Amino acid sequence: MKKPMMALAAVAASALFLSGCAATDTTEEATTAATQSTSTSTDTAASVSLLESVQAAGVVRCGTRDALPGFAVLDDSGEHVGFDSDFCKAIAAAVLGDATAVEMVDLETADRFTALQNGSIDVLVRNTTWTATRDGSEAATFLQPNFYDGQGMMVAANSGYSSVSQMKGAIICVSKGTTTEGNAALESSRLGLNWEVRSFDDTDLILEAFIAGQCDGWSSDVSQLTGFRSAYPEGAAALAILPEVFSKEPLAPAVLDGDTAWAQAVNWAILATIQAEEFGITSANVDQIASSTQDVSILRFLGQEIESSDGSAVLDPSLGLPTDFAYQVVKQVGNYGEIFARHLAPLGLERGVNALWTDGGILYAPPYR
Amino acid sequence: MIVWLKRNMFRSVGDSIISVVVAALAGWVVWQLLQFVFITGRWEIIQVNLKLLLVGRFPEELMWMLGTSILALSFWIGAVASSSKRDPDKKTSLIKTGFGLLSRFGLIIALGAIIIALAGTLDAVLLGIGTVAAIALGRLVGLARRRIAVLAKIPWLIWQILLVALPLVMIVQTLLVSDLSEWGGFLINVYIAILSIALAFPLGVFLALGRRSSLPIVRLVCTSYIELVRGAPLFVLLLLAGVALEFFIPSEIAPGAIFRAVTVFTMFTAAYLAEIIRGGLQSISKGQTEAGKALGLSTVKIIFLITLPQALRNVIPAQIGQFISLFKDTTLAGAALSMLELLKIGEAITKQDDYLGQGLVYESLGFVALLFWVGSYVMSRESQRLERKLGVGIR
Repeated sequence: MKKPMMALAAVAASALFLSGCAATDTTEEATTAATQSTSTSTDTAASVSLLESVQAAGVVRCGTRDALPGFAVLDDSGEHVGFDSDFCKAIAAAVLGDATAVEMVDLETADRFTALQNGSIDVLVRNTTWTATRDGSEAATFLQPNFYDGQGMMVAANSGYSSVSQMKGAIICVSKGTTTEGNAALESSRLGLNWEVRSFDDTDLILEAFIAGQCDGWSSDVSQLTGFRSAYPEGAAALAILPEVFSKEPLAPAVLDGDTAWAQAVNWAILATIQAEEFGITSANVDQIASSTQDVSILRFLGQEIESSDGSAVLDPSLGLPTDFAYQVVKQVGNYGEIFARHLAPLGLERGVNALWTDGGILYAPPYR
Repeated sequence: MIVWLKRNMFRSVGDSIISVVVAALAGWVVWQLLQFVFITGRWEIIQVNLKLLLVGRFPEELMWMLGTSILALSFWIGAVASSSKRDPDKKTSLIKTGFGLLSRFGLIIALGAIIIALAGTLDAVLLGIGTVAAIALGRLVGLARRRIAVLAKIPWLIWQILLVALPLVMIVQTLLVSDLSEWGGFLINVYIAILSIALAFPLGVFLALGRRSSLPIVRLVCTSYIELVRGAPLFVLLLLAGVALEFFIPSEIAPGAIFRAVTVFTMFTAAYLAEIIRGGLQSISKGQTEAGKALGLSTVKIIFLITLPQALRNVIPAQIGQFISLFKDTTLAGAALSMLELLKIGEAITKQDDYLGQGLVYESLGFVALLFWVGSYVMSRESQRLERKLGVGIR
């Protein structure tokens, strides 16, 4: 009586397992078939760009994360939403003409470059600071930064600190495994402040420690601090972010080294959002502008036909992108200002250095011509 | 009662002080806990994200398949549980049966009620009622088999295959139709755990037998497998499976994260299980094997009819312990393989715009812990029942 039941269980289990494999097979069949041409050719010729294989596969695999406030979080249906997620969608809109054709791959901080190197993602848009070492030794090519951040210090408003240099011997709480940890130690020794730096696994734990008074200061990227300040249980006024910013953190998308065509395509998808804001084109008015404007540079940018003495023509800069990629990006995702307003402004972040160059910021897109 | 209290809690001054202090401490903890659960806890974060926590990104339009699978499984469990029950003539009072049922399934019923209350949809209520009805129907079918002569003539094996066919077809159908990469939440923890347990058990048995084999090569292979796999931390194996695999094979043909997780958990658990079962085999006295030989039984028959059944029975607690640990270890897959399993989602939802930085980590992790605790506790209780039924520890 016992044995047949066990045999039955084993049969059931193996059937389950096999069907599980079968299920993944069938769903992956489509992508495998689609990438067949490229997967066979990548072995023979390394010169085939990801741009072509992504267009053949019909989906962009975007390395991201699932729990970074404002930049990439899961909504209640499990979709990724946030500033970085929107740039993933912008890349898909530019390359494939469909902002939804993106597969978000959640990555841990430690795995992100490995995933890029082993080809399990096409592009990394994961709040990653562009540094020389990462550029050089991680086989990553960094592109136009989508956010210029910097590390700052948050203290309780009633702590009496008004400058970082007053925080002698303070306990500083940071997240583990980030550049923040090293920057805090560096800043401490540079100013001779003798900080005790405490690392936490999760920002929620820092929050609890901070509320419990275990930390004198909380150091992280200013964008993060602003987010936590605005949501602080006792109100944002209970906290103060000190004026000093003691590191440069240009957060930039990255692709694998040695694939110029793909790098350029991704880069122009980012730049298109900046250029669109400069032109004043938003997702709401893009159709109207495309049909009514006489401005040649805007028509060119949106991939519209330009009348000239020798007939009409559409500018194709030979980036390997559809000529209307900028239109698709703006229409489906929006311009830089819209993306910022959607995800970062609610956290209480100001444009600051992330404003257009015409508004005193440093966002500047090369001319599209 | 007062006498008992006096004798056990307040025998001397020292005892009295300890009793009062401990009682006050326990009361304070319970009070805090109750306050958190019923007053200060902000459970809307769980309410809003309930589907995400339970099934991840599982497509909404396919949820009915999942529901039907649960119903089919409940039916099967009901039928199997009743058909294996002995002495149908023994009478027990209705109250006693009801109390027994409650003590055995009360926890699951309570959890089901909590989830239904959180979900607050008609579908959830219907699923809850349906599950109970399916179990009842299963029991009726099981009873009918014993009572009705025509049905009783059907051989046991065919009967079992007939019963298991429905849930199996339903589950396989769900697997085939939905994209496995969209599975998530608690569903994925349970799926990985059940599959790994089912696969690791036979593998562990064969490794244990192989390690005691008289053939040197078989022994060497099994021993080195066990020692190698046991020597590596589980997390390292998961990381290797998650990250390193793609350096060797193109990412297009690399298997999905679930496949990798199941492979690693099966390999790892089998190695530990092999040692547990070997311990069980060694507890069987040599005289039994010799007696089997004297009767002219083959080695295979001696193992599968005499030593192995006793060995497995003797090590039930340790085996179940290993399975419980596997069930909870599935949370490691979230960090190592970037899967959206329960713990990872539990951490992620506290970063949503509406809940950011409000210290809701207690609510979300509390819910995660509750699900795992109920799962583990039920496993442990059922193993104790099995022990009692098989008379482990009683000679």
